Amino acid sequence: MPVIVMASPKGGVGKSTCAVILASEFARIGADVTVLDCDPNKSLSRWASHGLPKGVKLLSDIGRAEIVPTIRAADGDGKIVIVDLEGVASQLVSRAISQADLVIVPMQPTALDAEIGSEALALVREEEEALGRTIRHAVILTKTSAAVKSRVQKELEIQLRGAGIDLIEPSLVARAAFSEIFAYGGDLTAMMRDPEMTTGGKVDKALQNAQKFTEAVYERLK
Amino acid sequence: MSGLNRLAGLKARPKDTTVAEVRMVDEVGEARGFVDRSPRKKPGRKPSPRTHQLHPKVFPSVGEAIAAEAERQGITQGQLIEMMWDSYRNRL
Repeated sequence: MPVIVMASPKGGVGKSTCAVILASEFARIGADVTVLDCDPNKSLSRWASHGLPKGVKLLSDIGRAEIVPTIRAADGDGKIVIVDLEGVASQLVSRAISQADLVIVPMQPTALDAEIGSEALALVREEEEALGRTIRHAVILTKTSAAVKSRVQKELEIQLRGAGIDLIEPSLVARAAFSEIFAYGGDLTAMMRDPEMTTGGKVDKALQNAQKFTEAVYERLK
Repeated sequence: MSGLNRLAGLKARPKDTTVAEVRMVDEVGEARGFVDRSPRKKPGRKPSPRTHQLHPKVFPSVGEAIAAEAERQGITQGQLIEMMWDSYRNRL
């Protein structure tokens, strides 16, 4: 079953959020998901400390030496492995990319995110060349506006498509629920059901967005 | 999206990564600035293994007396303290 790697040498672009959304949504449809928290900030471990959704297992403190054998050990029939990487340019990142069936590069629609995120895309292409095999990769724009598509986002989308880069649609909208899930643990459906969980935002819209994003990722793994 | 049958359609490519391939991936990454950033081990001598030796704080005159007696008997101060401990336990 597939290994999905979240990669970008820039921090704060939404790697952990994408990982949490995919892990919880794939688990919700019955997949056995293993999430590898390779980020020293331990965002996923913090999320897990409040409770993991059913079907999700978390492994943390995975370094450069352990990443390849850990992915191999976690991979298997009926299992999906999701790797959340640190937001730096490291060998841990390059090794994880080599094990991926899909590399997702999240970036906010800003020139800086695009510039730094393109380093990850370039690395994937160079690894493909060195290993002599394709490593599917795609960009997801994150923290986008729910109301209007900014001019910068429109231009970035044109540039990415022009460069032949696979752009996952829909983008992940800036939703309070995506941030708050790290404080509550579990998944968005649990957040919707529990009236004690207050996000100050529309959880149903966030769930809809998460499901469409997961569907788009699923299509790339077939 | 729903149903386990959909998951059955997911594919993974074989990943028979050899040591040579990992080395190659490291080299490709290094050329682009993706270098080894693993935390370095603490420099300096590693702490000695614990010997469970006692370090009693006593008056200097008592310490000197213990040291002199241990030397006279040709044993360590720790051994002498062990003997003293036995003697103390036997009196209880």
